[in-house]
Amino acid sequence: MSSKLSHLLFLGGLLMLVMLAACAPAPTPAPTAAPPTAAPKATEAPKPAAPTTAAAPAGAAKRLLIGFTASQTGAQQVASQKQTEGLQLWLDDVKKAGGIKLKDGTLYMPEMKFYDDESKTDRVQALYTKLINEDKADFLLSPYSSGLAKAAAVVSEQNDKVMITAGAADDATMEQGFKKTFQLYTPASRYLTGAVDMFKKFVPDGKKIAIVYEKDSFSTSVAQALQPYAKSAGYEVVVYEGYDTGTTDFAPFINKITATNPDAIMGGGHFADGTTFAKQLFEKKVPVKFVSLLVAPPEPTFKDIGDAAVAIIGPSQWEPQVTYSTESAKAAGLPYYGLSAKAFTDAYVAKYKSQPSYHSAGGYAQGLILQKAIEDADSIDPAKVVAALDKMKLMTFYGVIQFSTEAKTHGKQAAHDMVYMQWQKNAAGALVTQIVWPLEAKSADAILRK
Amino acid sequence: MKTLTNAPFWLLLVVIAVVAAAPVALNNVSLREDFFLILMLIILASSTNIIMGYTGYVSFGHIVFFGTGGYIAFFLMQSLQLHFVLAALCGGIAASVMALLIGVPVLRLRGAYFALATIGINEAMRSFVTNFEPFGGSIGMFFNFSVYDAYGGAKNAGQLAYYGIVAVALLTVAASFLIKKSKFGLGLMAIREDQDAAQVLGIDPARLKVLTYTISAFFPALAGAIFFFKNGIIEPGPAFELHRSIEALVMVMLGGYGTVTGPIVGAIVYDRLRSTLITAPPINLGTLTINLSNFHLVIAGVLLLAIVLFVPAGLIGWLRQRFAPVRRYLE
Repeated sequence: MSSKLSHLLFLGGLLMLVMLAACAPAPTPAPTAAPPTAAPKATEAPKPAAPTTAAAPAGAAKRLLIGFTASQTGAQQVASQKQTEGLQLWLDDVKKAGGIKLKDGTLYMPEMKFYDDESKTDRVQALYTKLINEDKADFLLSPYSSGLAKAAAVVSEQNDKVMITAGAADDATMEQGFKKTFQLYTPASRYLTGAVDMFKKFVPDGKKIAIVYEKDSFSTSVAQALQPYAKSAGYEVVVYEGYDTGTTDFAPFINKITATNPDAIMGGGHFADGTTFAKQLFEKKVPVKFVSLLVAPPEPTFKDIGDAAVAIIGPSQWEPQVTYSTESAKAAGLPYYGLSAKAFTDAYVAKYKSQPSYHSAGGYAQGLILQKAIEDADSIDPAKVVAALDKMKLMTFYGVIQFSTEAKTHGKQAAHDMVYMQWQKNAAGALVTQIVWPLEAKSADAILRK
Repeated sequence: MKTLTNAPFWLLLVVIAVVAAAPVALNNVSLREDFFLILMLIILASSTNIIMGYTGYVSFGHIVFFGTGGYIAFFLMQSLQLHFVLAALCGGIAASVMALLIGVPVLRLRGAYFALATIGINEAMRSFVTNFEPFGGSIGMFFNFSVYDAYGGAKNAGQLAYYGIVAVALLTVAASFLIKKSKFGLGLMAIREDQDAAQVLGIDPARLKVLTYTISAFFPALAGAIFFFKNGIIEPGPAFELHRSIEALVMVMLGGYGTVTGPIVGAIVYDRLRSTLITAPPINLGTLTINLSNFHLVIAGVLLLAIVLFVPAGLIGWLRQRFAPVRRYLE
C-alpha cells in the first residue's frame, strides 16, 4: 500500500474518532437513577425493584409483549431515555396493579423488549421486523423522533401491528394513510400557533414577528404552519429564515432581526441550537419582548444559561404543573383515566431522582393509552384495539386524547393541546418554570423580556 | 471476456446468490432484513473499492451517490409514479452522470486534495437538497402508504426491495471482478502504483479515472434508491450521512483493498461487529456502567488505524500474501 494511501486512511481513522465526538450523545439534562437503558440491548425489561406481588396469582397472567426501539446512543439519546423511563414507570404501575384485566377475568402482564436503534433509520426497520417476527411482540411503540417513527410505522403497518407513537410530532408522519398507527403528541403544525395567540394577548400593540428556525424536518414543519397563522392573525413576518442543524453562531440572524426590529421572535429547533440562540439574543441585548423557542426551554438544563433564560417561552407537550384532573375532565364532559399529574411526577422523581420532562410523560402515556384501549376492546385483538382507539376520547394526566378517524389522517392526534411554559425567577431569585398558557392552565402570569 | 469463463468468478456469485436466497427459502423475514443491510454494505464497500482499491483514490464522500440516487428515484416514484425498478435505474444513471461531470475536474486532484474535495461535494449536495423545495427541502419526501399497493402491498414491496438489493449486490461484485481482471483494471492499478509512470506507458489516467468514478457511482445510487423505497421516507441527513462513507472505507480496509472478496468480507465482519457491540450487555464496573454500544464508532476508528498500521493488506490481502494457493480462488 502506498504511503500516501496509508496517510489518508490514517486521517480517515482520526476523522472517525472526531465524528464520534461530534455524534456523542449530549449530557443527560439531569442526574437520573439507573435507567432501564442500562439493561442489555435486546432488553427484556428489568424486573422492577418494587415488589410485584400482584393481585392475581403468579402464572395466571398471560404475557403481553410490547416492543419498540430506543435511542440508547446517538443524537436522540437524551429524549429517548426519558421516554423509556416514563414507559418503565407505567410498566411498574401495571405490574403493581396485577396486570391488565379483561371482563372475562383474563389477565395480561405486559413486558417490554427494546433494541438500540442508534438514533438512525438504518436499523429501525430490521429491528421492528425482528420484534414482530422473532420476539412476537403483541403491540408496538414508536422510537423517539419523527424520522425513526416513520420508518418503524412502515413495518408495523405491513404486519398489521398496532403502534402508538410518542416523540413523533411531524404532521407528515400521520398523513400517509396509516390504519393502525396512533399519534400521542400534538402535531408539529400546532406547536407555535398558540404562541401567536399568547403574543396577541400579552403584547396587544405588537405588529412584527421574526421566525428563525432550524432546517430539519420537525422545525420546518412548525415554521411552515406558523408563518401563515401569524399572517392570518394580522402580523407582519419580517424575518423568515432557516439555519442549518448544528449552527452555533447566530450573529447573521440576530443582525437581520435587529435590523427589522420585530416585537417577537419565534422558532428555534432542538436543545443545543435553541439554548445557544437564547444565550446570544441575551448577550447581544436584542430588545424583543417576546421569545418562544422549540424543544430547548422545557428541558431542565436550559436554566444553565442563567439570566438569558428569563422570560423565554417554550411550547411543551406536558409540564409537571398541568392541572388535568377528574374535576377538569368532568367540567369538559370527558372521562378521566389513570393517575394524576402529581402522582406521576412524584413517582417519577422517587424512581429517577429528577423531574420528568414531557418526553417522560409521553412514554408513560403511550403505555396508559394502550392499556385503556385493551380494556375498552376487552381483547388484545388488533382490530378490536384499533376500534377502541378510534372511539377514544378522554382526559389523562397527559391531557385530552383523541385520534383522527379520517382516512387521510387516520390516527393523527386531534385533541391534545400544547401548554406553554416560561422561565421566571421566584422570590428567592432562582429560575423556575411556570405554565403561562393557556390561561385556564396557567400557574403564573407571563412576563415580558426587558 | 476471459473472466466470464473463470470459475472463481461464478463461484463467488453463486455463493452470494445462494446465501441471499436463504431468508426467502426459509421464509425468515428477520433474517431477510439483516441480509438486506449486509448486502447494502457490500454494495457500498465494493463500489468504494472500485475507485479506491483499484485506482488509489480515496473517496471519503462516496455516499453522495447513495443519497443522490435515493433522492432522484424517490422523486420519480412519488411525482411521476414511475415503477421502482425504472426509478432506481434513473437514479443510478443520474448519479453516474453527476460523477462524470464532477470527476473531470476533481480527479485532477491527487491524495488529500481529492479526499477533501469528495467530502465537500457530499456536504454541498446535502445543503443543496436541504434547500431544494421540489425534493421537499429539509422535510424531505415521504410516500403515502398506498404507493405500495402498486407492488401488491407493503409486505410484497419489502420482498421486492430485497430481490432488488440482491441483484444490485451481484451486479456490483461482478463489475468489481470484471474490472479487476480486465486490461482496463490493469490500467487502473498502474495508476494506483504510479500515475506518472502509467502515463509514460501509454495509459490515459484522466479518461480511466473518470470512467471508474462514473462506474463506481452507479451501484451506491441503486442501493440508495432501494433503501429509501423500502423506508418510505427520505431526508437530507440520513441520505448524505458522511459516516457511512467512512464506514465503507473501514470495510474495504478490513477485508483488503484492491481485492474483490475483501470488501465483501469486510462488510460482513464490520456489520457483525457493529451488531455485536450494539447488542452487547453493558459491563458493570461497580458504580460505572459501560455501554458498549456507545463505543462502536471508536472501535471502528481504532480498527481502521490498526489495519493501516499492522495489516495494511486487510484479511483477504493477508491470506493472499501468506498462502499462495489461495490467490487462485480469492480475488
